[in-house]
Amino acid sequence: MGEFNVWTSLPAVAPEIGLTILAAVVLLLDAYLPKEKNRARNIAFVSAVSMAVLALTPFIWAPAPNTSELFWGGMVRHDALGQLFDVMILLAGAITVMIAVDDSGVGRRGEFHLIVIIVTLGGCILSSSADLVMIFVALETVSIPLYVLAAFRREDNKSSESGLKYFLFGSFASAILLYGFSFLYGLTGSTQLTAIAAGLNSEIVSGNLVAVLAALLMVIVGFGFKISAVPFHFWTPDVYEGAPTPVTAFVSVASKAGSFAVFMRFLIEAFGLPAVSADATSTLVVIDGQTIQTFWVNLLTVFSILSMTVGNVLALRQKNFKRLLAYSSIAQAGYTLMGLAALQAQSAIGQDIAMASITFYMFMYTFTNLVIFAGIILFVEATGRENIADFAGLQRRSPWLALAMTIGLLSLAGIPPAAGFFGKLFLFQAAVEANLVGLAMIGVLNAIVALYYYLIIIKIMYVDQGIDEDKPLAMPRSYAWVLGITSVVIIILGVIPTPIFDLAQQGAAAVRLAMGS
Amino acid sequence: MDILNNWAFVGIFAVMAPVFPALPIVIAWLLRPHKPNVLKSQTYECGVETVGDTWVQFRVQYYIYGLIFLVFDVEMVLLFPWAVAYNRLDLFAFAAGFLFIFLLADGLIYAWRKDVLAWK
Repeated sequence: MGEFNVWTSLPAVAPEIGLTILAAVVLLLDAYLPKEKNRARNIAFVSAVSMAVLALTPFIWAPAPNTSELFWGGMVRHDALGQLFDVMILLAGAITVMIAVDDSGVGRRGEFHLIVIIVTLGGCILSSSADLVMIFVALETVSIPLYVLAAFRREDNKSSESGLKYFLFGSFASAILLYGFSFLYGLTGSTQLTAIAAGLNSEIVSGNLVAVLAALLMVIVGFGFKISAVPFHFWTPDVYEGAPTPVTAFVSVASKAGSFAVFMRFLIEAFGLPAVSADATSTLVVIDGQTIQTFWVNLLTVFSILSMTVGNVLALRQKNFKRLLAYSSIAQAGYTLMGLAALQAQSAIGQDIAMASITFYMFMYTFTNLVIFAGIILFVEATGRENIADFAGLQRRSPWLALAMTIGLLSLAGIPPAAGFFGKLFLFQAAVEANLVGLAMIGVLNAIVALYYYLIIIKIMYVDQGIDEDKPLAMPRSYAWVLGITSVVIIILGVIPTPIFDLAQQGAAAVRLAMGS
Repeated sequence: MDILNNWAFVGIFAVMAPVFPALPIVIAWLLRPHKPNVLKSQTYECGVETVGDTWVQFRVQYYIYGLIFLVFDVEMVLLFPWAVAYNRLDLFAFAAGFLFIFLLADGLIYAWRKDVLAWK
């Protein structure tokens, strides 16, 4: 770390600084703009364009290549992985604001856009945190505004219910997570993740294997809730269905991407990585002759299998589109957990692919989920119905909307040329590199099950007869832009995934080297 | 076994903790005479007899007022050490303090403009 210097530390938090200024400005805009018809819409455009521009800052003030340096007293890391997660969370914020403008419940109130900016700020901090205190503060900066957003439509009972459930379960999970953190601090006397790893490896902790495992379990429960992995998924369907649709879209991408980023960093930095070759040093934490990594890899393997299977099987029977996407997101969390389990790989390439595949999956998942949710918002706003059967004949009512949603669904299902294909391919490849062939097989089988319910929706949209097919759906210009851009991004990522994946691999190598293995 | 000794302390505390406060209450309950009358059962020293139903709803404005008050109350705790060390601050700490005040003021202006401070 060395001497503290403000000017060299600023690039590490460039997007966060920009978002803080943006939040202060939007607050004043909301207070001082005259009350006219397009007020909230203007605020939304300012927020969306600013966040999209801020998504460039991680590239302008890019981290030094192949390094993962600590800044701000060991609080945050500045590396290519954090850079990619910052970009996807910022773009998720921008797109969410854009698709919310015509949602009657939320988009016409200025403070909605402000709260989205604050969640984005929290997500950006979260994805590069390297200290328990920073992780917790960032996690709550993401969660607390999201509880508010879920309950944003006060007059709607379902929205209030969803907000309350999210709040109760979420604060409970946060408490468990914090309790786990306090154990780690108590055992090692440090909150900085790499210092915790050093502390756990020292003589002081020997004999306290049970306490370390208890702490690890509590932290996994906390993060498992945030990424909605089985068995901590029970809040997901109700919250997804009840919350206003733009909020559901945002919960499903921003909070999940940030949580996966920090979960990955936590497991790597606090518990180490295996040696990459016979003469390299292992950084794994070993207590009383037991390697801690074995425990969490086995646990996450089980959670991964459970999440994929439970998510996909329950999704088969859903009639409500948002509920279906809730179960689908549980299954997607299961696939991504495969990448975390693959961190046990004993080769440099295996570990890099494991980290990079998680990053790439979250990157493509952000756009994929947002394009589908944008379509749902547009449809529900026009018809007031959100069951899958109501989408019958959508192709005749709005061919472009049907096409964009088809691209999104194909990406979720993992069919080329959509980005989801490479997302899944990289995850399976990581699992195979880490000798988790069985897990990869279960993943492939689950992808086939999932194919069924995604394709059924496409069939309903294109083949089935709808009741009011002769009434075309109007497509507002802001939605046309969002649907167009996200669809094109999904296709580009699906055809040439290498730029993003290479950058992620470079970041992964930097994290691995920073660990000293 | 050292570990067992450490855990034994936890065990002893876990057993003693409920017993310790419960014991005097049980002893008092066993020893005390039980002769209530109207005067004895009344509220005394603190509190007055309630008028009407106690389960009334409070206005939500109380809550927002309380919240804004609390923010500035807590601000004091953070600004006090900053003010005490004012003549020894470097530029960064100086700017950080003012940034903090600015962000809070920003929120207050917002609340003011949104008529939160007007009692209706």
